[in-house]
Amino acid sequence: MSTNQAIKVENLNKSFGRGDTFVDVIHDASFTINKGELVALIAPSGAGKTTLLMMLGCVNEPNSGTIYLGDEKVYENRWLTKETRKIRREKIGFIFQAHYLIPFLNIMDNLTLLPQTNGVDTKESQAKARELLHYFDIADKESVMPSQLSGGQNQRVAIARALMNNPEIILADEPTAALDMSRSTAVVKMLKKIAVEQDVAIVMVTHDDRMLEYCDRIMKIEDKKVVFEK
Amino acid sequence: MIHLAKEDIRHTLGKFTVTAMGVGMLLGIVLIMIGVYRGMIADAEVLLKDLDVDLWIVQEGTLGPFAEASRIHEDLKYTLKGYDAIEKCEAITFQNIQMPKAEKQISALAIGYDIYGAINPINPHRLIAGRVLKSEHYEIVVSDKTLFKLGDKIKLGRNFYTVVGVTHGTVNSGGDPLVYLSLKDAQELQFTYSNKRVQTDRARGIINRDGHLVNAIVATVKPTYTLNSVAGELEKWLHKSVYTRAKQKEVLTKFVVEKASKQIGLFTVILVGVSTIIIALIIYTMTLEKMKEISIMKLIGLPNFTIVKMIVEETLLLGVMAFVFGNIFSHLIYDKFPKHVQLEASDALMLFIIVVIASIFASFIGVKKVISADPTAAIGG
Repeated sequence: MSTNQAIKVENLNKSFGRGDTFVDVIHDASFTINKGELVALIAPSGAGKTTLLMMLGCVNEPNSGTIYLGDEKVYENRWLTKETRKIRREKIGFIFQAHYLIPFLNIMDNLTLLPQTNGVDTKESQAKARELLHYFDIADKESVMPSQLSGGQNQRVAIARALMNNPEIILADEPTAALDMSRSTAVVKMLKKIAVEQDVAIVMVTHDDRMLEYCDRIMKIEDKKVVFEK
Repeated sequence: MIHLAKEDIRHTLGKFTVTAMGVGMLLGIVLIMIGVYRGMIADAEVLLKDLDVDLWIVQEGTLGPFAEASRIHEDLKYTLKGYDAIEKCEAITFQNIQMPKAEKQISALAIGYDIYGAINPINPHRLIAGRVLKSEHYEIVVSDKTLFKLGDKIKLGRNFYTVVGVTHGTVNSGGDPLVYLSLKDAQELQFTYSNKRVQTDRARGIINRDGHLVNAIVATVKPTYTLNSVAGELEKWLHKSVYTRAKQKEVLTKFVVEKASKQIGLFTVILVGVSTIIIALIIYTMTLEKMKEISIMKLIGLPNFTIVKMIVEETLLLGVMAFVFGNIFSHLIYDKFPKHVQLEASDALMLFIIVVIASIFASFIGVKKVISADPTAAIGG
């Protein structure tokens, strides 16, 4: 039966090192994030924001616990599939601090690379890319290289790339860190709009308190525990 | 499907092309080295082909004039002419000489032959100016490589020789030009000592009787006889070493050119190895420059195969482009070398296969880097 949950985490634990170098980062975390939600993830530097994001993104392996992406259990004390990259390719979109577009591909190729790897027909993926470029008001930029675009335009392309595989989840690691206030606000509003319109769960790491007002919930890592505040 | 290697190369085309040209110059030198070896073999065979004889009769226990000193009596040819199996035979001399030209000395191999004989070492197709020898004395036919012209006078030993003919493409295995003298002049040049030496020898009771020595007798065999059996018979009865044409060719390639070919072969292997290492390092550097993008690709879910394919294709293309540049480079410069450089398509094809295999090996270091790339390295600036 299909539910509204996009991410469900139960008793998740992550630590690094052993003995004197042992560091407990996430301890017994349990939470659910629903589709259509924009959730901010805040914590001091080194508290484990990126570690948590990478565990949700099936990049870093937890020590124990359970992770559901949508209705699919992907981790239960071990990855339940060897193809974690396939899960990322098909279910998750990533947005980073910088745009990290591939510099030798033009905008259209940057957008269609992932769907084409997933086996989507070239024409179909290009149509989807054009639709998104239009949505982000950069429809005339499909043939240009990333180096020819402004920072804000590139970040919009990066967001479009994250949406190209119709993800259930978008993990955004400080997507506004490199942008000024007005562009940051525009990007976060855009993410909020995407979450609602595309029914996607977005977890956004941010250090900028001014962006929190646009988020549905705020998730904090406090003393290794994951807690929510309104 | 997007072709990552093509797009990456297009993005850095200038840098990629210059790199390929650099590696190509190395591969060009590899082709030149192989060409030098081929040239040596071809040069070594010039005289064999031009003489076009079946048997070489030389001093017993020696390998013949191409490999070591051989002296036999000229009149042996008359004995040989008495054999039913022998169609024609002539005496011949070989001598390394230095020919003065202006301030320089030009090394050459002088071949002496009987100008009235049945076997003539001058191939008329190679004669580009003048004529063959017609006088028994003081005439010389030279290779155009000596830079002498018709009518030039050359001092050799005690006498001056007039250039009456110029040939093209006539060199020995060492790349030295061939010059042709009459047998009598060649014998005088090789076996007659200076006046002082003759006087000293006479005082010691030594009388110079070497005037009718030659270095080899060459012969053709009637078609009804088998070469090996005739050679065996002659060795048995004349107490001389007798080599068939095939054996003489083997002597040339095995004993004369072998060391040079090993040296060139070793240089070639080293150069191919160096080229492989350079290609590997270039690809490794190119991969390092793309590590951020590779991490991103892995993080967003691109399979290793897609990224590895890009690296391998780029390496292969670098190798192929370098090979093409190497070919162009070698064809542009090969005739500037003092030695004969013979570029052959079969060698180029072999090098192409080696370059492809070497490129695949060279890509491993980049591929290893890709496989070990941490996707989380893309996170956090």
